Amino acid sequence: MTNVVFWILAPLAAASGFMVFVFNSMARATIALLVSFLASGGLLIWLGLAYLGTVVILMMIMEMVIMAVFMIAYMMNPAGLTQMSMYHNKRGSLAIGTATFVLLAAGIFAAPWPHRAGRAPRDPTFQLGTALMGPQMLTMIVLGVTLFATMVAAVVLATHRGRYDRFGDDLKRRPPADPVRGGVDG
Amino acid sequence: MVGSAPLWAVLAVPAVLAVFALTAATADAVLAARAAGQRVTWTVLAAPLAEVPRLLAAQRRTTPAPDALLWRLGLAAIPAAGVLSAVVIPFGHVTVSRMSVGVVWFNAMEVLTWAGVWMAGWGPNSVLSLVGGYRFVAQGLAYELPLMFALICAATGAQSLNAADIAAAQGHLWFAVWMPAAFAVYLVSVYAFSFLGPFAYPAGRDLAGGVAAELSGPDRLMLEAGRWLLLTSGAGMAVPLFLGGGAGPALPPWAWSAVKTLAVLGLLVWGRRRLPVIRADRYAELAWVVLIPLMIAQALAVALVVLTMGGPP
Amino acid sequence: MDVTGLLLRAGATRPHVMIAAMPGATAVRLTAEEQLRRRGWPAALTPADADVLVVAGTAAPDIAQAVEAAWAAVPAPRVRVRATRPDDVAAALDAAQAGLASAADQRRSAATRDPGSHRGHDPGRHEAMSGGHHGHDMGGMAMPAGLPMAGRAEDRDGLKLDQLHVALGPFLPDWPAGLVARLILQGDVVQHAEADAVGLMADAVSFWAEPWRRAAAGEQVTTGTAARRRAAAHLDSLARFLGVAGWADAATAARALRDDTLRGTPASRLGPAVRRFAARVARSRLLAWSTRGMGTLRPDDSAAARAAAAAGGQPPLPAGDVTARYRRWCADLAGLAGLLDDDSLLDSSLLDRSVLDRSVLDRSVLDRSVLAPPRDRGGAGQAPSAVLLAVLPRLLEGAEFAAARLIVASLDPDLDELPARAGTGHGR
Repeated sequence: MTNVVFWILAPLAAASGFMVFVFNSMARATIALLVSFLASGGLLIWLGLAYLGTVVILMMIMEMVIMAVFMIAYMMNPAGLTQMSMYHNKRGSLAIGTATFVLLAAGIFAAPWPHRAGRAPRDPTFQLGTALMGPQMLTMIVLGVTLFATMVAAVVLATHRGRYDRFGDDLKRRPPADPVRGGVDG
Repeated sequence: MVGSAPLWAVLAVPAVLAVFALTAATADAVLAARAAGQRVTWTVLAAPLAEVPRLLAAQRRTTPAPDALLWRLGLAAIPAAGVLSAVVIPFGHVTVSRMSVGVVWFNAMEVLTWAGVWMAGWGPNSVLSLVGGYRFVAQGLAYELPLMFALICAATGAQSLNAADIAAAQGHLWFAVWMPAAFAVYLVSVYAFSFLGPFAYPAGRDLAGGVAAELSGPDRLMLEAGRWLLLTSGAGMAVPLFLGGGAGPALPPWAWSAVKTLAVLGLLVWGRRRLPVIRADRYAELAWVVLIPLMIAQALAVALVVLTMGGPP
Repeated sequence: MDVTGLLLRAGATRPHVMIAAMPGATAVRLTAEEQLRRRGWPAALTPADADVLVVAGTAAPDIAQAVEAAWAAVPAPRVRVRATRPDDVAAALDAAQAGLASAADQRRSAATRDPGSHRGHDPGRHEAMSGGHHGHDMGGMAMPAGLPMAGRAEDRDGLKLDQLHVALGPFLPDWPAGLVARLILQGDVVQHAEADAVGLMADAVSFWAEPWRRAAAGEQVTTGTAARRRAAAHLDSLARFLGVAGWADAATAARALRDDTLRGTPASRLGPAVRRFAARVARSRLLAWSTRGMGTLRPDDSAAARAAAAAGGQPPLPAGDVTARYRRWCADLAGLAGLLDDDSLLDSSLLDRSVLDRSVLDRSVLDRSVLAPPRDRGGAGQAPSAVLLAVLPRLLEGAEFAAARLIVASLDPDLDELPARAGTGHGR
């Protein structure tokens, strides 16, 4: 029974990943990528990693929809109205891809995987949380703050309008000069 | 204490959800009739049910050069999101899925509406639909993070991500009482992900229906049913998360769950017509600059309470 | 068991009706909306949702194509009825319901339908135009459905985005009858706008300014009649504005009050209700927060509009944003609520523009200005709605779609006041 789940989700993930390069339309390519991620999330759930799998599904839906917005805004053929090919260096990349897959598969089958010692935890999510937050608490805190600071800095550097454009040279103008008025002190 | 349901209960989830959704739609029809000065007759009460044959008999439309695959997929995803998000809601002492990460699953399934509504807006190759689909993404960016923090508050209060455990942790005091900001933000977010009421911006009247502008027949039925199913699922999830689940004197647990769900649904349906639409261009700044810090502060408060008292009060 | 017949009859119990309101047929539109409200039939926002298309009024030649496009977009089962006078509306709606429930009628109309005509159209017509020379060779590519690619231009952030040529109206829900706004959209931001009036009839007169017209012609018109008509005009404008703003209950309440006002409900009941409603809308903080800073009219706008409308000596349009405009309607309603049953004769000096100009500035006579015709100043001479139309394009440019709809709804020009141009129709 459980193997059925694998044999449905795994080929689906691989096939829809491949379809990303076959579709002409940016929107369809992004949705195909989303389907591939959803299948991978399903596989994680099937492996017993419920939290990881659900979070993959959650984050990937949001990210793929946002990515779809940007792909359609920036790429030349968003609706697939004309032919488009996303392949480059077909023979070389096919060879490299196939070789990598064969190597990895050989490695997976040939590796001497250890047998399970002990029993599976009652609540894998709790055990995952303890493993991350117990001895590695300081790492997680530093990582979290660093990620947040990086995101904020990236947005600040990318935008071409800053505080002085919005609030004037003395930072006293209210409401701020925005192209579209916002909802807070606007 | 809370048992996993037998296999036939998987079919019961859409059925029970549909019954509650129909009740909510009927209540909405009654309120609309009262506001219009019309007497409430059997025709008014049967109005949501009468929509079904009208839409089933209607001809399906198409537009020039649509993306039919994404259009139908998106429309199917919206009711699917409603039904799938409801499988982790404990009804009394019964729940279909005893997932240890039920709250995260609920969040993931309601996020499916992002993909669904965007695809439903993209599909028809029509200006009004496209604007409606993008409006939902803008609204989504605004409501999602406060909603996630509200769910985290409830999970932190009970120290578990399982909805039944969260319900059980409210034996002495409902979470709605000592984390009111999280409860309020959660209710607002239910409007937002079902794009009804003050958050009907993607399907707004100013956009001639928005994502619904080019829909007729069974497509329209799927969209409208999906919105009501999402609202019902959100109201149903509020009960174990903030209102104590099936706990209560005298009545059996499933009856208390039903009563509390109907109460939350009633509140949401009543508030739906009484507020103007909140547009994402005003709401986004409010959500990011005011609501997220508020929810972080609320989560901090909850965490401190749990740490000092060794558990929920 | 005739499943089709059963479904048709079940669906015909509560048909969704789309009202295609022609300019000059305000009374028919009001009657139709009242009938729908009393029967509990929802008004369809788009032809895709409609079962019945009611053509209210007579369609002039330049608007007939839009009516046909809307009719073609309505899916089966469907019925089209026409109502040229308010008394015809009830019978037309009954006939529509009977036609919907009859399987034979539906089969007959389906047999005569043009097979390609069930394709969708926006309520406004959508044309995509190629933008000229961009270095693409479009000739060799097969365009889907024969539509050319959209042109591209810079947007407000410096990106190059597609430009879409969209015509809004004339049958959008909560939209002035006969107004067509030709927009160039990038995304949902209006880059360029042109406002136009279609379907004008040569002999159309404004329904809302009728008491003042009769008084100017020498009839004895009571203050109460004029106050009721003006209050109904403001309630109609508010109903449309609140509909666009998405406040369902308030829009329905405005329509119900408007119907009661026109129907002659005594002021003892109606006056307090109107006052309460106006206060509720005026003090709604959510609506004010949502609309402030939008569509701000500057004092020099009226000079430009005056020049565009080729009028002399026009009093200025009041400066302010959308919030100020709907609050002014509410303030006027509060003032008018006490005058609804006033039997004194309408003061003919209210038709004198110089009095009105002064009254705007002198607050002690402000209560007299509420008895002027709606849409501000000037029953005689240049139509105020022409000024509103002239000022609309500048206000719409740079606004997002929702803001554009709110701006148009807050101005609510009455196209019946405009003189018909050559080539439009003549009513019977």
